Amino acid sequence: MKVLIVDDEPLARARLYRLVTELEDDIVPEEAGNGPEALRRVQENTVDVVLLDIRMPGMDGIEVARHLKHLDRAPAVIFTTAYDSHALQAFEASAVDYLLKPIRRGRLKEALERARTLTGRQIDALEVTDPGAGKARTHVSASLKGDLKLVPVADVRFFRAEHKYVVARYAHGELVLDEALSALEEEFKQGFMRVHRNALVALAHVRGLQKHAGGGYRLRFDGIEDAVEVSRRCLPDVRRALKERA
Amino acid sequence: MNRPNPASAEDTLFLPDFCALRMVFAIVLVGQLLAFVVVLAPTRLSADSWRDMAYSSLFIQWVGLSSAAILCFSRRWLKRVNNAQAGFFSYSIVILVTLVLSEVGFWLVVNGVVPVEASSFAVPSYGQGIAPAMVTFIKTPQHFELLLRNLGISAIVSAVALRYFYVQHQWKTNLESEHRARIQALQSRIRPHFLFNSMNTIAALTRSDPALAEEVTEDLAELFRVSLGDASVPVPLSRELEVCRQYLHIEKQRLGDRIADRWAIDELPSAALIPGLSLQPLVENAVYHGIEPATDGGVIEISGGEEDARVWIRIANSRPRENTNNSRPGGNQMAQENVGQRMRAFFGDGAELQVKEGASEYAVELRFPLVTDYVTGARTR
Repeated sequence: MKVLIVDDEPLARARLYRLVTELEDDIVPEEAGNGPEALRRVQENTVDVVLLDIRMPGMDGIEVARHLKHLDRAPAVIFTTAYDSHALQAFEASAVDYLLKPIRRGRLKEALERARTLTGRQIDALEVTDPGAGKARTHVSASLKGDLKLVPVADVRFFRAEHKYVVARYAHGELVLDEALSALEEEFKQGFMRVHRNALVALAHVRGLQKHAGGGYRLRFDGIEDAVEVSRRCLPDVRRALKERA
Repeated sequence: MNRPNPASAEDTLFLPDFCALRMVFAIVLVGQLLAFVVVLAPTRLSADSWRDMAYSSLFIQWVGLSSAAILCFSRRWLKRVNNAQAGFFSYSIVILVTLVLSEVGFWLVVNGVVPVEASSFAVPSYGQGIAPAMVTFIKTPQHFELLLRNLGISAIVSAVALRYFYVQHQWKTNLESEHRARIQALQSRIRPHFLFNSMNTIAALTRSDPALAEEVTEDLAELFRVSLGDASVPVPLSRELEVCRQYLHIEKQRLGDRIADRWAIDELPSAALIPGLSLQPLVENAVYHGIEPATDGGVIEISGGEEDARVWIRIANSRPRENTNNSRPGGNQMAQENVGQRMRAFFGDGAELQVKEGASEYAVELRFPLVTDYVTGARTR
């Protein structure tokens, strides 16, 4: 069984490392100090169990778990936390287990055994329900041929609904997301704005509003050439938002 | 702001201090109002009404002030009995005084010491013209009727007064206990997250570095000693800064090189008094919002000095580069407001708490009068 320990605090990682190695002779855990590093590790080597701290700077544990779900072979997640009364309820259904720090040897053993007996399919069935209680992610992710591709939300210029999926356009490319535009709008209320039935734009990256030959308006963005059509209904709101930003 | 007195015998007696000048004045005033009511009450007013009032006032003031005098002198004894007994005693005193003074007054009038032509002396006539006749008949029913009326009025008014004193006392007691509860509620609480993280740190260090684990345990114990202590007793600044250092020492173990602290506190008067745990929550806030959410960590700066008998302390933290909607939830304003309220509770309007928010820095500045003596401090409030 391969175990990955994810925690931003070196001492917390050290203790878990020791506990895990003492419990099981055959386990040599890996360590990661933050969310993105954890996701990279999981993709590089197959990991069976992730011991995931919830409170981490940047990408927190709940978000890591959400991205992990996009993987073909998602590892079992065991959340660890010092004290998160609200978060506990939120992820009760989403993880194999959760452990409270300081973690007891016996509890860790139980959790690892539970994870060992779960098959991949059972792990997939574990739903991340109400993750982070409405907190916006720092990254959006999608699985590309089994690889997890992460794009920081701060880099996204706009989300555009195309047929049955949503494309996230960022400075260096596009990412096809398996998510609904309305859900994205709800999650990224801060910083993003609906400008058309099919488009959600990052206000911070808007370079200007341009009138085009057909009489309509388009938004231009920094770093990319693509423009986004603004619907007539949204135009006053867009103008106001850009004015407030200036 | 009034500091609640510790519960004493004084507080348990519901009766106010009748020896106090303010109380005597109140009795005179209320007695006069009562005299007005008594004169105005009859269905018809006559030219005699004004003279009636003079006698009524005289009588009522006599009863009121005599009762107050007796209650004033018996206060020491009243403090030792319970409120029911004290209430019964004071009620009886007022009735008894009314009885005695009614009889004395009646006797004086009948014997012509006090010239009365018209109505009675305490209670104005219920009709007209009966008064002159009434005065001469001591043993007539009018005598007893008058006595009964005086006693009746006295019984009702003193019952109302006692009830008023009792309710006012209850209200005061409630107010004080509420105030005390509020001070206690304002007492800074250490975040549970911090407690469990520290425990985890100690658990990790116990085997890898027992000496350090010992130190962290000592720091944690010290912090909790202060946190569980009495919030209303101020501490010297040096002590509070020591608590901040102990707190940061614990957090440094956990956060490693992500946290850096800078101190510029040589100019601070270390003997200046400050409510206990009023800086530590601000430092904890700085760690919670400035260091923990930052992937690259950050810096905490604690500086301070003295200007014109006023102390200033500044606690600043670098802001995380990460976007702000991912900042830590909850409690950010609360700890700060809490500290502000406690500073105001101690220093009055002389305390200031200012927040200075910059693009890369968040700072809280405290300014308060230099007070080194608790007693004078309490007096200047």
